[in-house]
Amino acid sequence: MVDITQIMRFDDLASQDSPIHNLEGRIKLISTIFIIVVCVISQELFIPIILEIFLLVVLKIAKLSYSDSFKRLLMLLPFGGAIIIFQPFIQPGNIIWSYSWLHVTDAGLNWAILLLVRLIVSLTAIIIYSSTTPLQEMASSFRKLKMPRDLAMILSIMVRFLFLFVDELAAIRKSQKSRNFNIHGNNTPYKWRVKQVGYTIGMMFLKAYEQGERVHKSMVSRGFSDASEMFNEKKSPEKSDYLYLFTIILIVIVLEIIMFKCSGQLGFLGQNLGIN
Amino acid sequence: MKKVLLLRNGGINLHIPDGFIPIAQCLVYYVILIVALYFSVKWARSNLDEKRIPLLAVLAAGIFAIMSMNMPIPFGTSGHMVGGALVAIVFLAPEAAVLVFTVVLLIQALIFGDGGITALGANVLNMAIVGGFVGLYTFKGLNGMIGKYAAAGVGAWLATVIAALACAIEMAIAGTFPANVGIPSMVLYHFFIGIIEAVLTVIVLAALDKFRPDLLAWNKGDA
Repeated sequence: MVDITQIMRFDDLASQDSPIHNLEGRIKLISTIFIIVVCVISQELFIPIILEIFLLVVLKIAKLSYSDSFKRLLMLLPFGGAIIIFQPFIQPGNIIWSYSWLHVTDAGLNWAILLLVRLIVSLTAIIIYSSTTPLQEMASSFRKLKMPRDLAMILSIMVRFLFLFVDELAAIRKSQKSRNFNIHGNNTPYKWRVKQVGYTIGMMFLKAYEQGERVHKSMVSRGFSDASEMFNEKKSPEKSDYLYLFTIILIVIVLEIIMFKCSGQLGFLGQNLGIN
Repeated sequence: MKKVLLLRNGGINLHIPDGFIPIAQCLVYYVILIVALYFSVKWARSNLDEKRIPLLAVLAAGIFAIMSMNMPIPFGTSGHMVGGALVAIVFLAPEAAVLVFTVVLLIQALIFGDGGITALGANVLNMAIVGGFVGLYTFKGLNGMIGKYAAAGVGAWLATVIAALACAIEMAIAGTFPANVGIPSMVLYHFFIGIIEAVLTVIVLAALDKFRPDLLAWNKGDA
């Protein structure tokens, strides 16, 4: 799990000004999901790699730092990386390297490369989305895209309180650190450390529940009822928003045509590396 | 050192990333998620009155923070609490876990890339639907026999192991992780993670029972 205290930094980044930041929330969400879906469907490297190049251009237009985004990508890679590392050794195929009982197969290696490229492109799309879209805009995009009322309300209120709990967690960590408490340190018995974490989680859970009750009371005192609806700012996507989305769709269509017509000339990039 | 760092940052966790499950299978898991959400919203409307929205929302924010607290596990790795069984046992309803974890996992996927957006259905299925149901019904089954805390502990442990098993099966169906390697490694790893989940679940339930017994549905005679 990544450090959630970074959420503040992401939201700061998302509040900056650039042509990508200024795109309408729904357009950013749909285009991000579209790029990810195209990547997940792709069995060859060609389309995901061209999409990654496109995303790197978008990153520049969004005035985001390449080095910061790259560091963030490196932090996120281990989640899937642990599984990718095993692929060359566990997938059936022609053995291309072996040492004792350890075998690397061509199909396994190709599959690992494809998974890694899919993961990198998907994470780049997510990094751009989360660095250019404030949390509230994410929640309102889901509302505008007709997410069921209860779920949309839970999501909107949740993202509002996320910052409070991140603050709370940072304060707890600070006070624990000031008392020389180290979760990973071996100076105290393991059982004792587990207990302290349990108490902290219990306190967070209790605080969350009681805060929920207080929020409910304050909402009721302001007229909230079961019939209440959340306010949606009436902002329609502009021409530039549609242009961004259509550009991505057009790029994908062109890439699909290239793949269909001349996949044989693309060499390894046009080769089907999929196993599913 | 690098190995430890790799494992500390997630290792073999239950958050399936994008690209690991084919899109057709992702759609099946999304259908399961939509059906589960339909029943969960219905449950919340009839059981939690209008209080449900702020309550579940703020609880989701709290769970989000709780999931970020890494705990060292023996063998140089670390894990974090999931809490699917905990939420299901507090409300005595797996539906609560489904609602809370759908928003938590959605935001985790969109901000941190922790768990894929196409794999959201599978991730909610494992951590909330499977985790919530297994945790709650193990608790209910054992409550009368071994006491509520021991039952909750076994429930939370089993929820973690079965959720890992479900995750390994999904990956095997997807072809990403063959069952003969994926199932033993995922189940064995979560066998230990599950112990931590169980201990933390019991500590949290005991704390709630002590300070706010009214919050626990089992004190309302529903267990």
